[in-house]
This record gives sequence, structure tokens and C-alpha cells, in this order.
Amino acid sequence: MSFHQSFAQYITTSRFLLASGIFIVGLVIGYTVSRLARRVLEAFGLSETVEGTAFERTARGLGTSTVGVLSQLVALTIYVSGALAALQMAQLLDTYTFWTSIATFLPQVFIAALAVIAGLVLGEKAALLVSERLRGVKLPEVGVIPTLIKYSVFYIAALIALSQLGVATNALLIMLTAYVFGVVFLGGLAFKDLLAAGAAGVYLLLNEPYSIGDEIRVGDNRGIVQEVDLFVTHIENDGEEFIIPNQQVFRGGIVRIRN
Amino acid sequence: MSDLRDLLGDIVADVDAVFLFAPSSSFYGNFEEVADTLVVVVAEENAVGAENFVELPLEFNDVSSRVRFGIEGALGKDLIDEGAEIACATKTFDENIDTIMRVKANQFSPSGVYGLFTNSRAEPAVIRDVLEVAIELGKKGQKGKPVGALFVVGDAGKVMNKSRPLSYNPFEKSHVHVGDPIVNVMLKEFSRLDGAFVISDSGKIVSAYRYLEPAAEGVDIPKGLGARHMAAGAITRDTNAIAVVLSESDGLVRAFKGGELILELDPEEY
Repeated sequence: MSFHQSFAQYITTSRFLLASGIFIVGLVIGYTVSRLARRVLEAFGLSETVEGTAFERTARGLGTSTVGVLSQLVALTIYVSGALAALQMAQLLDTYTFWTSIATFLPQVFIAALAVIAGLVLGEKAALLVSERLRGVKLPEVGVIPTLIKYSVFYIAALIALSQLGVATNALLIMLTAYVFGVVFLGGLAFKDLLAAGAAGVYLLLNEPYSIGDEIRVGDNRGIVQEVDLFVTHIENDGEEFIIPNQQVFRGGIVRIRN
Repeated sequence: MSDLRDLLGDIVADVDAVFLFAPSSSFYGNFEEVADTLVVVVAEENAVGAENFVELPLEFNDVSSRVRFGIEGALGKDLIDEGAEIACATKTFDENIDTIMRVKANQFSPSGVYGLFTNSRAEPAVIRDVLEVAIELGKKGQKGKPVGALFVVGDAGKVMNKSRPLSYNPFEKSHVHVGDPIVNVMLKEFSRLDGAFVISDSGKIVSAYRYLEPAAEGVDIPKGLGARHMAAGAITRDTNAIAVVLSESDGLVRAFKGGELILELDPEEY
């Protein structure tokens, strides 16, 4: 038996064939899935959504796009899994445990990368959305809020990515908790009256127990209703306009004056 | 032979202020270097970031009313004084500034058109929206048959107490504001029936089909205008509201304040 024949036999019978097959199947699946992912992402309108964000600009600068990066990421993950499976099959490597740990680590890396990308895009989008909303507010300091939101989203994305990779994130988590507690609790404390007025205002606007033009009395203030909005009610009598918070209207009750 | 520049330069010689109507930023940039002459920008929004700015509530297509509004606005803001001589750069035919004129601030009696927007109870943006709706209605109405409409803006509580309903109020428990996209269509439909629209200071449409019952004495409006205009003039005298009327007969939009006719616009020009 010549070398040729033995080589041919080895190729056709051994695990090597199976391994090659697995590797090729991995390549095919990876390519198909990445094409599919690209199609699906484009169908969802991701390209338009991410347009103008820093991540998209960077991706464009590197000759690709956010959709491209994501589908490449998917393809790469599947290629590497295929390659690992093939190596496993061929038993070309003895360091069995090392590669299995890599194989379990791979999805985590994938999710971490996904979290980073999503965080970058979402953070910037959220900041843009909020700043659009706040455009009517002509106050220079208001520009802090979108930036704050952007970095909060970045922070959470980084936290998710790091915890996926198994990095100890306890300190960061505690910081996040403190931050959320500050925003929710202190914010709630600060906006307590506005929230109460808003809740009462919803009722007043939906049910209209009084409407513009009615004469009413709230507490000691009597007059004609000039305006009702979510937070306050304007009542006017001769020369005086009372602007009453809606929760006060609700708590004190309303006297409608008919004659 | 005299140079054209010498002859026409007289128009802008020794003026106290230059009024630029909706200048482009490069045009305005050149003017910033002009020393010891006040430069005032009059436009719908302050796109060039000018220091002295008068906001135009409408794009007045008629040049004289545009200039008039700009000057009254500058007087109202104390940017210029009564005797000031002003060079106005504005556009008449072109998209760019193509017209220069010289006016004296006291050349015409103030019409109060600036005060109509800034010194009324209702917000300027609300008044502008109502005027736009009326202009729109005037334009569209003429294709089919002309419609008339009467909008009473601001001081809604008092107006409601000086009027009575002609029919059920289609805007009850609704929270529609002028300027909402759907409003044009709604108002067009509801203007078929007679009666006034009542709009609050913040632009909420309080009611339609209101029959106004103000005391009509002392109302000074031009003879020949009908009952709708008389009612509009009278309600603005009796309350702090302003009224915007679209005439069914001549198709003009008129604004009243304090019982007087302040502004007259032809919807066809917009």
C-alpha cells in the first residue's frame, strides 16, 4: 500500500472527513445566517434608525455599516463555532478543556459585543429623541439632560457586556443602584407636587367637572375658569387671576356656582 | 455725469437704522461690520442669531404691511425712537433681498398690528395659528363656495359668559388646539354652520356655534361690513379677546382688537 492509498484511506474513513464536513457546513450556515440576518435587519429598517449615530459613522468610515457589522458578527460567531466543532471532531487537539471553555465563552462574547453595539446606538438615539422633545425649552442648561441619558445607557450597556464576560461588576452595579435610587427617589420627592397635580389634571381634563366659562369656587378663590391644563387651573375674577394647582382643586373640592 | 451710486446712495444716507427682512446669514454677516448704524433683523425666526430681532408672526406678502409690522415691532421694543429714519432691505419679487426703501418711523399712524400679537391675552403663536387657519379657510372655501368664519381668541371664560350656544358644542370634552394638524379639516366642516369659535389663551378650542351677545355700542368698524364683523368688533370691546373674521362676501381676513379693525389680509396673497 503506497503512501497515496493510505492517505486517501485516512481522508475518506477517518474523522478528518467528518471534521472537514462540519467545518464546511459551519461556513455555509454562517454565511446563510449572516445574509438572512442582514435581510431581516434591513427589513426592520435598522439602517434608517441608526442613521447619523456615531457608531454608524464610525462603521461607515471603516467601509461597512451597523447592519454589516451585526451580520458579520453573527457570521463570525458561527464560523468560529464550526471551526471549534471541527477541531473537536478531528481530535487534532488534546487540550480538550481549553477548547470547551472557549466554546462556552463564545456566546458570551457574542452577547457582550451585541450589548455594546446596541448600547452605543440606543444611547445616542435616546439622547437625540429627548433633545428633540426639549427643543421648545429655551434654557441652555437643559442640554445636560440628553447627555446624561446617553451616558446612562452607555453605562448600562457596558455593565451588561462586562457581566457577560464574567468580569466582576459588583462595584459598578452598586454605583448603578445608587444612581437609580437617586434619580427615582429624589426625583420623585422633587416632582411630588407636579405628579400629584398631573394625576388630578388627567381626571379634570377627561371628565371636565367644570369647563372654561363656568363660575366656580375652589377654597377661597372664586371666579370664572379661564384655562384648565394638566397641572393648573386658571380662575379669574375682577382683576385677579388665581392659578391653582390641580391637586388642590381635587383635594379641596369644587363649588360650581349657578344662578 | 453722476454715478448711479451717488444718486441712489441718498436713499440710505444718514439713516438711524437698517432693517433687514429675512436676510440670509451671509447677507447679515456683511452688515455686522457696519459701524454706528443699528441693524435690526425682521423675520419669522431668528435664524441668523441677530441681537436686535423683531419676530414676524406671518409672512406678510404685501411689502408695506411687512415694513409696517417691522417698524411697529421695533418701536414697541424701544429699539428705535419715533423720529428715526430707517432703510429697509426686503424682498418684493425675488427670493433674495431686492428692494431698498427709506421710511420714517412716524410716517404712518400706528395700526396696532404689532400689539395685536404681543399685547393680547392669547399667546402670539396661537393668534398666528388662528390667522393661518382663517387664511387657509378663505383660500379653500373659494374653490367651492365662499365660507365665513369668526374666531374669538383669548379671555375665553368671559367670552363664554357673553355668548350662548346655537347648537351642541362639538368640542366639548375634546382637547383640540389650533395648530393641531386635524384642526383645519374640523374647522372647515364646522364653519358651515353659523356662529363663532371660541379659543382660549393657550389655543384650546373651547366651543363652536356660539352666538355672541356683547354690548355693541361704541364699536367703530368700517361701514358696509356685516353682522359677523360687528359681532367681532363688539366682543373685543367688551372683553380682552381678539377676533379674527373671514368675510363670506369679500373673502378677506380681518382682525379686531378693542373694538377696532387692526389688520386686513387677502388670503389669495398667501
